[in-house]
Amino acid sequence: MDAFYSSVEQRDDPRLRGKPVAVGGASRRGVVCAASYEARPFGVRSAIPMARAIKLCPQLMVVPPRFDVYSAVSDQVFEVFHSFTPEVEGLSLDEAFLDVTRSVTLLGTPVEQARAIRARIRERTQLTASVGIAEVKFAAKIASDLCKPDGLLVVPAGQVREFLAPLPVSRLWGVGPKTDEQLKRMGLRKIADVARADRSFLELQLGSTGLWLHDLANGIDPRQVEPDLAAKSIGAEETFEDDLLGEDLHPFIHEQALRVAARLRRSGAKARSVHLKVKYADFQIATRQETLLSPTDDGAELYRTALRLLQKMDADRPVRLTGVHAGDLGEAPPQLGLFDRPRDERRTRLNKSLDAIVEKFGKDAVQHADLLHKKR
Amino acid sequence: MELQIGRDEFNQALYRAQGIVEKKSTMPILASVLLEATQGEGGGRLRVSAFDLEIGVTGTHPAEVQKTGSVAIKHKELYDIVRALPEKTVVLRREANNRVKITSGAAEFNIVGQPAEDYPAFPRAEKVAFVAVEPTQLLEMIEKTQFAISADETRHNLNGVYFETEAGAVRMVATDGHRLSLVQRAIEGDFGLKKGVIVPRKGLFELRRLLAEDGASACELGFTETSGVFRRGELTMVMRLIDGVFPDYAQVIPREADRIVTVDRPRLLETLKRMSLLSSDRTTNAVKFELSEGTLRVSSQNPDLGDAHEEIQVAYGGTAMQIGFNARYLMDVLSVVDSAQVNVELCDELSPGVLKPAGDAPPGSRYTAVIMPMRI
Repeated sequence: MDAFYSSVEQRDDPRLRGKPVAVGGASRRGVVCAASYEARPFGVRSAIPMARAIKLCPQLMVVPPRFDVYSAVSDQVFEVFHSFTPEVEGLSLDEAFLDVTRSVTLLGTPVEQARAIRARIRERTQLTASVGIAEVKFAAKIASDLCKPDGLLVVPAGQVREFLAPLPVSRLWGVGPKTDEQLKRMGLRKIADVARADRSFLELQLGSTGLWLHDLANGIDPRQVEPDLAAKSIGAEETFEDDLLGEDLHPFIHEQALRVAARLRRSGAKARSVHLKVKYADFQIATRQETLLSPTDDGAELYRTALRLLQKMDADRPVRLTGVHAGDLGEAPPQLGLFDRPRDERRTRLNKSLDAIVEKFGKDAVQHADLLHKKR
Repeated sequence: MELQIGRDEFNQALYRAQGIVEKKSTMPILASVLLEATQGEGGGRLRVSAFDLEIGVTGTHPAEVQKTGSVAIKHKELYDIVRALPEKTVVLRREANNRVKITSGAAEFNIVGQPAEDYPAFPRAEKVAFVAVEPTQLLEMIEKTQFAISADETRHNLNGVYFETEAGAVRMVATDGHRLSLVQRAIEGDFGLKKGVIVPRKGLFELRRLLAEDGASACELGFTETSGVFRRGELTMVMRLIDGVFPDYAQVIPREADRIVTVDRPRLLETLKRMSLLSSDRTTNAVKFELSEGTLRVSSQNPDLGDAHEEIQVAYGGTAMQIGFNARYLMDVLSVVDSAQVNVELCDELSPGVLKPAGDAPPGSRYTAVIMPMRI
């Protein structure tokens, strides 16, 4: 998807269209999660501090993230993917590899399928997606990056090496700033340089990474598209504006529990275990977990469990982040449990109604009272 | 240390230690048994102890002790040797560096031992209010509950049998969250328990072994805050109780039933064994009960294999209903109940089923199994 979060925001709020938009926390500690194409010429890109982004682009429109909306759109997009092939390997909410080889007889050439996928995504989400087509995974990814936004780029069969040759080495998978620097020192600036370099020399300099890069540069990438297994856990985390202590954490944990529960219900899964993650002011991370007597998708139950876990942790240390994660996910098993409380049925009905209200009137239409007092 | 002891006597002591010594512990000495030779008024004794830090068995055996002393020896090798000895008596002698010479007839073994001081200290069982127990009754109670203990190690509070007392009776309850088994028997004496305790699975298994080898001698059972202690003559077994809260089991036992079916126990057990052969999933063993006046129809199906059904004549005059069960759970109960007929109590297809022996129980006695249905 092209500039996914900010595109969703621009879609939902006409005032943002055509303007530089950054999605992320506006606080001192906030970072840019996504920048619209209008913001990019200013140097605003994801992962830079929001304060710096605003300095770079004073007219920047800063929008807080709405992850629940993004994950709902993501579900729609992945549904489209799965209607073409079961072999979908998600990289993130808005990015995936698809192996369409076995869909060709049914749905047409890869290019035809790519066009259809893009059209269907646009139709269902009013958002644009870019597609790169290649024989190997990483070349397909580079192709899609190069044709953004709203593009389609095909690397012809047998020409991966030629396609890669003129690109800078930093495009190679696994080349970060450090390796980039090392390669440059060896005089290797373009992928073609790496492809032509002596294999044993690269191994000597970079170890097994050197061999790997030599393969990639020559268009060799043996990795298959590995279809996603069902999610193993669902979580929600948040870094606070100021470090918090004791009961001030509760509303945040509550909100995280509710968010996780809503996502569980959306995916039709129930959690058998709850994990609480706490990052203290000194960046030390602690986690505790509890296995539930019966699987749940109820936010109140997740919250109660998370609070129990919080009590097992150091109460005197200021906390900068908490996260609630639901683990051991599964569909509701056919075997009923003795300790599935009779109230569960009522909670299920309540949650269904609340979900319907949120779906129709938005996230803030109905709220837990304690969340109104959240100290920001 | 030097002594002579009867081979069979020694063999029995090592048999009792077998289930307790830890073969794969991070503490290698836990794979050993501790041998202590003492000389007292009643003559010489050999004490044989095994302890895995959770459960310990210790017993003394008459021996001709020439020289007192102690040593720890790897259990497996010692047990294998003693079982293979040619003569009815065996001589044990500790030599330099904790080597132990074992001689019986013309056979001589010199095996490596470890200093007795390295063996972990056996937990003391003082101030225990012992109550005389009937070994066959205690064995029966273990057999009627043990199968329902949860195998899920993350639910440590369900990894044992809940033991509680009530005015002249003891009650043992086990549950894995899907089914529950409760047995109560009259007993005289006061265990002095303020609340119930959870006896671990491994401890019960070892206790069952000890009870099975001798159903006649007087036995005593008692508890400290953290341990359960069993005594029979010179034999003592101590087990650390599970530190946890057992769920409120009473609330999941239905108080009354809409439908009561009386059925021949061996017949239902045989039928379930047959029908479960075709259950689609060997672990869930789903079978369907269709109940109508005078008849219970049990069926199972497997999409890959086919289906099976069988009808049993039962005493039932109520309305028709269907309900699914894990056949394994039913068979476990039917295998431990002694009565010729059982009552199956049902409400609806989502409510727990209750199994009880038909007929009147002696005062203070009770057996109840609760099994949650499966969605079918």
